Amino acid sequence: MKVYVPRDAAALSVGAEAVARAIARLGPDAEIVRTGSRGMFWLEPLVEIETPAGRVGYGPVEPETVSSIFDGTHPNALGLVEDLPYLKNQERVTFVRCGVTDPLSIADYRAHGGFRGLETARNMAPAAIVEAVLQSGLRGRGGAGFPCGIKWRTVLNEPADQKYIVCNADEGDSGNYADRMLMEGDPFLLIEGMIIAGLAVGANQGYIYVRSEYPHAFRTLNDAVAIARDAGYLQGFDIDVRLGAGAYICGEETALLESLEGRRGQVRPKPPLPAISGLFGKPTVVNNVLTLAAVPTILDKGAEFYRDLGMGRSRGTLAIQLAGNVKHAGLVEKAFGITLREAIYDFGGGTASGRPLRAVQVGGPLGAYFPESLLDTPLDYEAFAARKGMLGHGGVVVFDDTVDLARQARFAMEFCAIESCGKCTPCRVGSTRGVETIDKIIGTHEPAKNLELLRDLCDLMVDGSLCAMGGLTPYPVLSALQHFPEDFAR
Amino acid sequence: MIHNANQIAAFFAAYPREEAVASVEDHLRKFWEPRMRRQLVEYVAGGGDGLHDLAIAATQRLAT
Amino acid sequence: MTDFGTPKRLSDTLVTVEIDGKPVTVPKGTSVLRAAAELGIAIPKLCATDSLEAFGSCRLCLVQIEGRRGTPASCTTPVESGMKIQTQSPKLAKLRRGTMELYISDHPLDCLTCAANGDCELQDMAGAVGLREVRYGYAGENHLASKKDESNPYFTFDPAKCIVCSRCVRACEETQGTFALTILGRGFDSKVSAGNTNFLDSECVSCGACVQACPTATLMEKTVIAQGQPEHSVVTTCAYCGVGCTFEAQMQGNEVVRMLPYKDGKANHGHSCVKGRFAWGYTSHKERVLDPMVRARITDPWQKVTWDEAIRHAATEFRRIQAKYGRDSIGGITSSRCTNEETYLVQKMIRAAFGNNNVDTCARVCHSPTGYGLKTAFGTSAGTQDFDSVEQADVILVIGANPTDAHPVFASRMKRRLRSGAKLIVIDPRRIDLVDSPHVHAEYHLPLRPGTNVAVINAIAHVVVTEGLVNGPYVAERCETAAFEHWCRFIAEERNSPEATAAQTGVPAADLRAAARLYANGGNSAIYYGLGVTEHSQGSTMVMGMANLAMATGNLGRAGVGVNPLRGQNNVQGACDMGSFPHEFSGYRHVSEDPTRSLFEAAWGVSLQNEPGLRIPNMLDAAVDGSFKGIYIQGEDIAQSDPNTHHVTAGLAAMECVVVQDLFLNETASYAHVFLPGSSFLEKDGTFTNAERRIGRVRKAMPPRNGMADWEITMALSTALGYTMHYAHPSEIMDEIARLTPTFAGVSYEKLDRLGSIQWPCNANAPEGTPVMHIGGFARGKGRFMITEFIPTEERTTPRFPLLLTTGRILSQYNVGAQTRRTPNSLWHDEDVLEIHPHDAEFRGIHDGDLVALASRAGETSLHARVSERMQPGVVYTTFHHPESGANVVTTEFSDWATSCPEYKVTAVEVRKTAQRSDWQQVYSETRASTTHVAGD
Repeated sequence: MKVYVPRDAAALSVGAEAVARAIARLGPDAEIVRTGSRGMFWLEPLVEIETPAGRVGYGPVEPETVSSIFDGTHPNALGLVEDLPYLKNQERVTFVRCGVTDPLSIADYRAHGGFRGLETARNMAPAAIVEAVLQSGLRGRGGAGFPCGIKWRTVLNEPADQKYIVCNADEGDSGNYADRMLMEGDPFLLIEGMIIAGLAVGANQGYIYVRSEYPHAFRTLNDAVAIARDAGYLQGFDIDVRLGAGAYICGEETALLESLEGRRGQVRPKPPLPAISGLFGKPTVVNNVLTLAAVPTILDKGAEFYRDLGMGRSRGTLAIQLAGNVKHAGLVEKAFGITLREAIYDFGGGTASGRPLRAVQVGGPLGAYFPESLLDTPLDYEAFAARKGMLGHGGVVVFDDTVDLARQARFAMEFCAIESCGKCTPCRVGSTRGVETIDKIIGTHEPAKNLELLRDLCDLMVDGSLCAMGGLTPYPVLSALQHFPEDFAR
Repeated sequence: MIHNANQIAAFFAAYPREEAVASVEDHLRKFWEPRMRRQLVEYVAGGGDGLHDLAIAATQRLAT
Repeated sequence: MTDFGTPKRLSDTLVTVEIDGKPVTVPKGTSVLRAAAELGIAIPKLCATDSLEAFGSCRLCLVQIEGRRGTPASCTTPVESGMKIQTQSPKLAKLRRGTMELYISDHPLDCLTCAANGDCELQDMAGAVGLREVRYGYAGENHLASKKDESNPYFTFDPAKCIVCSRCVRACEETQGTFALTILGRGFDSKVSAGNTNFLDSECVSCGACVQACPTATLMEKTVIAQGQPEHSVVTTCAYCGVGCTFEAQMQGNEVVRMLPYKDGKANHGHSCVKGRFAWGYTSHKERVLDPMVRARITDPWQKVTWDEAIRHAATEFRRIQAKYGRDSIGGITSSRCTNEETYLVQKMIRAAFGNNNVDTCARVCHSPTGYGLKTAFGTSAGTQDFDSVEQADVILVIGANPTDAHPVFASRMKRRLRSGAKLIVIDPRRIDLVDSPHVHAEYHLPLRPGTNVAVINAIAHVVVTEGLVNGPYVAERCETAAFEHWCRFIAEERNSPEATAAQTGVPAADLRAAARLYANGGNSAIYYGLGVTEHSQGSTMVMGMANLAMATGNLGRAGVGVNPLRGQNNVQGACDMGSFPHEFSGYRHVSEDPTRSLFEAAWGVSLQNEPGLRIPNMLDAAVDGSFKGIYIQGEDIAQSDPNTHHVTAGLAAMECVVVQDLFLNETASYAHVFLPGSSFLEKDGTFTNAERRIGRVRKAMPPRNGMADWEITMALSTALGYTMHYAHPSEIMDEIARLTPTFAGVSYEKLDRLGSIQWPCNANAPEGTPVMHIGGFARGKGRFMITEFIPTEERTTPRFPLLLTTGRILSQYNVGAQTRRTPNSLWHDEDVLEIHPHDAEFRGIHDGDLVALASRAGETSLHARVSERMQPGVVYTTFHHPESGANVVTTEFSDWATSCPEYKVTAVEVRKTAQRSDWQQVYSETRASTTHVAGD
């Protein structure tokens, strides 16, 4: 009997390891397969048992109740997992194997369609691979949404004796976990994507820069790279996994490159673009985990398949990460275009507290706070930008009516004051002055004058900062001011 | 003095004998102050004990 | 001087843009900020300065560009054809004011009492953007209570005033290459740190680049804090090492406030080291002697006398000695620290007034083999390149030199080139800093046994010849064929192979072969060498060996290659050029050449000797023998710097009149009868010639504190001797030099003022000088390969003296230390120590810090031990900066076969633990006070 128990960090954090041990003890005949997570965190630890009809789920399972899954009497029996509406209503493209396969079984990966994209790519000219990615409409999933194919074309056309592929796995946004899930649940997909990227631009070395807070992902990737290397997949293109420096700013691509080079993670001015002068001064593709992980599908199923998903200029699928005060926190992979409301209610089931929803922050700690009235905004880069928000990496954090948006605005400035790389003045000094100025406003110390000063400061940070960190910090502040002015005048 | 003369001779020993003797002589003329050359000539006249063969030959030319 | 904000770019492609409606054309790659500056448009800036790459942190230089979103920083935005840029607008003004408001919200408001008042870019920018109010107030979080770091003797670091622009950090990295500074912390807590310790205890080498780069009073010279801002300045040349940095002596009246490296200086391009930048306080040190003095016997106290009396006494004594012992019984030594003009005058006085050729110079003990070897091979007694050439080198071969300590400013340029991709090979017994330093790693370090240079260079050449790496067409075109073929047969012999010589040299054959291939195949390969090459019994042979290698691989006659001596003293090249050697006139022409001698006889109005004079060691030998009785020594301390101290002092003691001209009562002055106080480089006009043949002006910043410049003293002595000299100004001396010296024919003070500096040869063929020599052909016609048989030195280890001693220098001290010991530089190096490998130390029961006796067949001294893996087993090392160390008590009389350059680098010694100072040191410390006693003081 095959029993599937996740080894994903989210499952481990709620006792998956103890559950796996209990299963081994109580069901000596059980063949335990450790998988990634399906991304339904309220069900973790989610145990699945193979049956002729399909995989039947139980969750959450505690070590003490393990015995009842063997006789089918477990109170949290879920039936066929694939039929759960939360999963069934998704469009899993990138996360199709996540939670299904053994992340470190290359045979399992291949059996589930792995390396087909690479096989296709190997028979294509570099320019043709780049063209396919361009045609697919794939945009950078790290947050900026820059067309991936254009970046790759720049690197391809740059003459150099050495080029690099760098995977940005420094997933630091609060409420974001899709990169981690993929690295822990389907690392070969990322490796395949990087190999294809190497073929496309003529790079022979890749780096994966994993944030230091992700020890499981780091270990899984290292194991996966070793396995792929042993299986001969990394001939002519090798991958090195590097542990990050524990700084939010290292998720900024140029600071990441500095850090990879062994320096302090500090933002570099652009130009030059990393595509022209990146790691060690060489042309470098820097892509997010999910961008690279989307590539094998594009090569396997064709650019049209991917392009046909989505809306407007946002093509393919988005990994929506529901978090915060939400009933069913978890990963929802959907084609672009679903509204925020659908994501939060149809999948998330509304607030966990049951109280009314008051605000949603999309795109990480530097994303805008949207009020209830904007919940019908479709998840689309341009639609969000039009409402002075940003989609970012797809993180959705829900707040109920107990939230104080002035405090949240203050938090944005405080976050920036702590996490700024310290290079440019608007960000380094401005964020601290921002906290102080919001404190004055909250403390009703010359509120009108200080509100004006805060707006000036926000303008300065948006227009004057060196990178997106300082430039985006005002977003949560300005959105809070715009949509929740009452919180600043209590 | 003897030591230095022998060093000079040793350097030029790599050349054919005639060229070597001429080079040692030339070096002594160009760089050695006359009273040093006189001392060397006297030393050779007195037997030139321990002196490199080339140095002796070159010194004999200095004397003429 | 205008700061263009970002470094100059070199490109053949020109780009035209329009800034505030005005067109400007600049090389591709130029920043918008610099393009604007070239138009005379000053865009506000704080983190940008044209000595450092653009950084983009201060956000003051934002501009608007037509057709582009946002407000990009002009420092990090390169010009693009047709760009239309606006540098002023209400939006930009508001952004800049907003940024300044943030800066000032975390900055002390003490402008009026701040040391940078009047020279502060932050202050200037507050004015430029019209900051009138800081709406945040001053009660917010700030750094104003940060503690000031005053540990460095020369500058302070006041973090309360820091604006975190990183200019200091970048200067430490880009300009100096030390990487001592960093930014610690993130966000608002970001701060400059010398690696989490104070500046003195950090990796900081006190080069001053950070202080110079700082736009505020955060990093500030203590002299400026004490004295205030300078009111005028004089551009001059540093008097320390052979790099010859150009400095601005910034003055208040006749007081120096600070020495600032000069951006347009062609040797240093605005960089400096701890010596030139800060260690100039010796010029007003209390031990400096300002009064002429005489005494009958060296055991008598000194008597202060007038200049007239002193000069007359010296002249009378010299004439008396010559009358008694003959014309050739006196001589003199010129100084590599004095100017070309002064050196020229000393040799002129000796040849014309003394009437003999007994003149020598301190180059005898350092680079005389360079002169001999390079003249033999190429026809010119000097390095082949300019310093800028290193920027085009692909492979840098450093042999027997320690540039980071001895030539720090050039070392920084070299490291910069190495960081940007050139490969490094180091041949040195020690693991010098360059072998492994931040972001610089030698491809190969060949740690040879001291004394085996020639075997190593022959083995490298053997690989080149036997592996078919000779540049045949180059050799055929440029070199003497017969000599080359003879050399080829010799060098190809198996006994010269890396394998055959490995046992003797200690260099693994595989490493040597790989290094040889890299040198031969790596593109532009350049050799840089120091005294580790010359100060051997085969010093001249080694110089010729390097010349052979460079010729065989075609690495001569263009930028990026060459054979480059790193000269020790500021004017050692010049002293040699000026005819300081006993056998040649200025421009390296032998005294026996009749046409040359006639030229000088006609110009000087005397008849001149046609035979070579005595070299320094010969003078001392002759003194011991009784035929040499008087000497005039300008600015050299042979009793400390020359080998075998016992022999040197015996020679000096045997003389009847020793005249020493120096700033201080040096070790040689202990044996002197007449002391003529010298003038410092700040107090006179003249020129120095650096290691790249660059003649740079020394300009008088203050009147001579001793009353007379050195050239005036020599002039007076010559006149007193009956050979009258008349020069109103050193420029007239240079005019005479130019008239009489073909390689200097085009040099004049007027031209030097116009061009800044000139590299000789400068004449009708090269009116503005010659940066790179031997382009198209060698000075002597065809290059000459010499047979360089390896003949091991007779100085060998024995059971009694089983270790080899080699000597060198350290960054903070200079030569005999006469200058640097009289500055706070001694804080870094207050005594010479003996470096010894852990194995050798353990075998002898020596621990780090123990007092150890160091003995050779020549003598014995004692030093404290430093146990160090930098050494190879069997080799010990020390420096010679402190007289009481007595390093030269131990060194021997062996010397280079051709030039008598002492074999400082190889002495067989034994080291043992000891409880007391050596006999020599005890006698020294007992007698030093009495020999320097001045009556009445």
